[in-house]
Amino acid sequence: MLEFQNVSKEFGPVKALANINFKVAKGEIVGLVGENGAGKSTLMKIIFGAYQADSGIILIDGRKTRFSSPRDAMSKGIGMVFQEQSLIGNLSIMENLFLGREREFQKCGLIDFKKMAEASRYQLAKVGLDIDPYMETARLSFSQRQLIELAKVLALEERSSGDLVILLDEPTSVLSEDEVTLLFELVNNLRERAAFIFVSHRLDEVIRLSDRIYVLKDGELVDEVAREKAVASHIQSKMVGREIDTEYYKQDDRLPFAPSPPLLSVQNASVRGRFEKISLDLHAGEVLCLVGTEGSGREAVLRAVFGMHKIDNGRIVYFGNEFLKIRSPNAAVENDVGYMPRERKIEGIFASMNVAENITSCQLPAYARYGLLNKAMELGLADEWIKRLSVKTPSARTDCNRLSGGNQQKVVLAKWRSTGSKIIMLDHPTRGLDIGAKEDVYSMIREMSSAGIGLLLIPDTFEEAIGLGHNIVVIKDGRTVERFDCLKQKVTPFDLVSAMT
Amino acid sequence: MRDILKSNYHWVTLFVLVILVGLVDSNFWNVKSLLILIGDIVPLFIMALGLTFAIYIGGIDLSAQSMANMITVIASLYLASLGLWIVPMCFLVGAALGGLSGLITTRFLVPSFISTLAIGGVCYSLAQWLSGNRALYMDSEIRDALFGWMLSSTGIVPNTIFVGAAVFAGALLIERRSTLGRRLKAVGSAELAAVASGMRVSRIKVMAFALSGGLAALAGVIFAIKLSGGAPSIANGFLLPAIVAVLVGGTPLTGGVGGVVNTLVGTMIVAVIRSSMLYLEVEATHQQMVFGIVLIIAIVFTIDRSKLSIVK
Amino acid sequence: MFRNFDIKSLMPIIVLIVLVVFFTAINPNFFSLRNFARIAIAASPFLMVAIGVTFIIVMGSIDLSMEGTVSLSAVIFCFAFLYFGGTLASGGWIALFAAMCFGMFYGALNGFIHAKLLIPSFMSSLAMGFVGIGATVLLTGGGIVRIDDDVFRMLLTYRVQGFPLMVYVAAFFLIAGLLIQKKTILGRNLYAIGGAEDLASASGVPVLKTRIMAFALAGFYYSLAGILQVAKLGQAESVTGANLMFLSITAAVVGGVALWGAIGGVFNALIGVLIVTVINNGMVVIGLPDYIQDGVLGALVIVAVILSTNRSTVKFVK
Repeated sequence: MLEFQNVSKEFGPVKALANINFKVAKGEIVGLVGENGAGKSTLMKIIFGAYQADSGIILIDGRKTRFSSPRDAMSKGIGMVFQEQSLIGNLSIMENLFLGREREFQKCGLIDFKKMAEASRYQLAKVGLDIDPYMETARLSFSQRQLIELAKVLALEERSSGDLVILLDEPTSVLSEDEVTLLFELVNNLRERAAFIFVSHRLDEVIRLSDRIYVLKDGELVDEVAREKAVASHIQSKMVGREIDTEYYKQDDRLPFAPSPPLLSVQNASVRGRFEKISLDLHAGEVLCLVGTEGSGREAVLRAVFGMHKIDNGRIVYFGNEFLKIRSPNAAVENDVGYMPRERKIEGIFASMNVAENITSCQLPAYARYGLLNKAMELGLADEWIKRLSVKTPSARTDCNRLSGGNQQKVVLAKWRSTGSKIIMLDHPTRGLDIGAKEDVYSMIREMSSAGIGLLLIPDTFEEAIGLGHNIVVIKDGRTVERFDCLKQKVTPFDLVSAMT
Repeated sequence: MRDILKSNYHWVTLFVLVILVGLVDSNFWNVKSLLILIGDIVPLFIMALGLTFAIYIGGIDLSAQSMANMITVIASLYLASLGLWIVPMCFLVGAALGGLSGLITTRFLVPSFISTLAIGGVCYSLAQWLSGNRALYMDSEIRDALFGWMLSSTGIVPNTIFVGAAVFAGALLIERRSTLGRRLKAVGSAELAAVASGMRVSRIKVMAFALSGGLAALAGVIFAIKLSGGAPSIANGFLLPAIVAVLVGGTPLTGGVGGVVNTLVGTMIVAVIRSSMLYLEVEATHQQMVFGIVLIIAIVFTIDRSKLSIVK
Repeated sequence: MFRNFDIKSLMPIIVLIVLVVFFTAINPNFFSLRNFARIAIAASPFLMVAIGVTFIIVMGSIDLSMEGTVSLSAVIFCFAFLYFGGTLASGGWIALFAAMCFGMFYGALNGFIHAKLLIPSFMSSLAMGFVGIGATVLLTGGGIVRIDDDVFRMLLTYRVQGFPLMVYVAAFFLIAGLLIQKKTILGRNLYAIGGAEDLASASGVPVLKTRIMAFALAGFYYSLAGILQVAKLGQAESVTGANLMFLSITAAVVGGVALWGAIGGVFNALIGVLIVTVINNGMVVIGLPDYIQDGVLGALVIVAVILSTNRSTVKFVK
């Protein structure tokens, strides 16, 4: 009933999706898998009308159509159950169910809540929920809210022209094992009402639920597997399956780091709701990669080390000094810990400040006397680092919003290098960069490593982790599940995906 | 070229306005009256300088006017006993109350427009209490002895202009040369990046509001000296043109760019608009309407919408 | 609606009761029909403003234009009233509609500038407030416009059960406000937007239209306040709305309307208005100078905002 023919989508020079051919039949449950950045979310957004395809054809029941907006897609029978839940907590269940459709219950300008409650009970029954529709959704459990989301989407069937296609985006990420089973039963029972597209990074669940599985990699559908033939290892190899170019990651420059007491030792540390009992050691000159899916808690580990999250349990020892406690970013910076956050534009760079101002932003007192800045000294430092990292900028006085992404990233690195940080944490340092800029970042990582800096890295891809890291720690649902020593063994992306999913 | 024009549009605005007004009103080019016009606007300019710091970090200070009101009362009451010390004392009172707004904003996450509005209410109340809700007059002998120089002129230049220039120089020094100024810029430019660079963002924001309060108080002192007295609502009508001066100058509500030089230009623009309204015989009280409209136009053109995902 | 409440939401009512008990204990005259009527008269126009701004705050925005809108619609009402003969009977009733329509229009304009031109509401509405006051001065020439129609002034002079008519008018619009909040699409959409604007928009709530309509509704209530002020004072001028901005926001917040939106409503505005008016009236009754109230209220509003802020969900504020 829903069919994509040769659908492509580009963002500037980046091809996000290429020639996607994709089909969902009535009563079918189709799985969609792919690693981070493979194009899953772009594809979903096109199906849901949030993005428009650049080329290709979308058919519903054989008729050509297009979705100009989520609202338009909804009216044509496309529903989406979001991973980030979309219920409004301060509204009642029924108000959430009929949000944007209250007009149907209007009488003399007033909403007839009795009628709405009645209609709600009918919708809730579809997902087997017997619950007071007057209740505020903020007071419900997570799985209850998920069922209500599903009911809200199912309510589309009475007002859309065709049959329903429902997208389930990572619906199990926060559910317990029992709740997952219940949800799957329900979805199976709803087959007559709708077709489902099930998107998840948990491969075993996708295999369990789906009739067919599409594998997406680098914006292309690389395989289509029927359930009977679905084997986790096969699918995983399709999800990755890229040769690693040793030259590209300067692997030959990866020198074993000298044995030394760890610079940083995270010992059984937990931050409630983010990660649990994580342990890792980082040595001088080591590149330690944290691998895991979105929301696995990797980022929170970095933030905890940087003093942004309070540790609930366990401890973090810096430089072997058990008495050194870091409870704020300020303390982290003063103790030579640097952090390059993922969202460069929001947390990394000061866009309206110039290169020199960015570089000195974490070490102002060193360039000031009686609170007044020595600009000559500041510019001197900036010029030195612009040269060392070959930052392409007209001058040290150029505002950073005029630099390219790669050069902005170099400026952030220069900031931490120039303060003499001994531990530097990098969260997706190559995200959104072109190939040349990525290579520059890799060289810099090598250079820092050989300079004896401990690097904690969240890589953008598996290949980066394998190409750059001395050690790799795989984190799943906030826990360490696997460790790899890249100098001792040959790690493949397949190994990482198997550990993660 | 477009970029250059865009980042300097406040100069262009000023230039165009001056030409226009100059063409219509031939008396506008009288240097002496121009200087008097500038001298008159100095208290407003100083208040706008303070506001610049609050807006520069992406906040706002709506207490500035009530602060100046209260300070006129305090200055009138304590001039006799404190003498020249009245100036630093008022500055400190203003800085303390401004800092308190900042503290409430950062510590309890109360939006600055509310915390400053509330502190403004406190100031208004204090002013009424201290003054017994009536106009106060300074001892003219003491005032003339201590501050008489401020009201006279050097040649044709009113001495208040020198006062304004001195405060401006101080504010410029803070903004361009001090670590504080740099940190303010960082917070305004990207607050989360400032956190990730290890800056103590709360402290920096409190300092911005303290500066805003202190300078509003300074504006109040000068205003009181000029009028030789004070009252709880004597400075009403200052807030709007002060905000207009900052925003028209090119420091957007979203912060991070602009600064005190922009406010200097913005204040000039306000001065020119005022003088043209005088020429067109628009009464002072009606100017509010004009400035309100100018304010909206200025915001529309300066605000950085990429920083606002949802506009509330 | 009544099924979900917790003790925190009862705080404003408890505060109100404690205040009443406190003032009565100091001066028993406080607890008298006569004094209550006095409180009700003072509260009536003020309540209209508080209800108006509550609709905006619930949406997560703020409106600082009330002083201008109240003054301007009061003055427009007076001029229209005089134009149509100067008595209610001769056609002055048209002036009532004129003022209300104007309030709605001015509010809609305010909302349009905020929502369509993407200006934070505190700034756009502040500017619109200044424009309103400026326009009032322009219309009146800085003077006062009087109305001496005995029929119209009956709003103040004619009493039923000890309370003047204007109190009943205010009560009527209070109930209307409650209905709008709880039973209309506009009212419910305000809560959806205040709860999560992006999600509401994705579900098909027309956000822009709702925002503009909310400001129009607020403007309508401000115009009612203007009319009641004229009924109370017999005149309108540029300061008719003075001090209402601070008081009404204080009242809403102290009554339990969360500044972040989505929590509280018209009923909380009523409680807040009563708290503020009782403090005001009580201070006079027990012989304290009334100018202390601004300071007390300033402190109160900060405490109320602090108590109502869920600090775990807010990343940073400006």
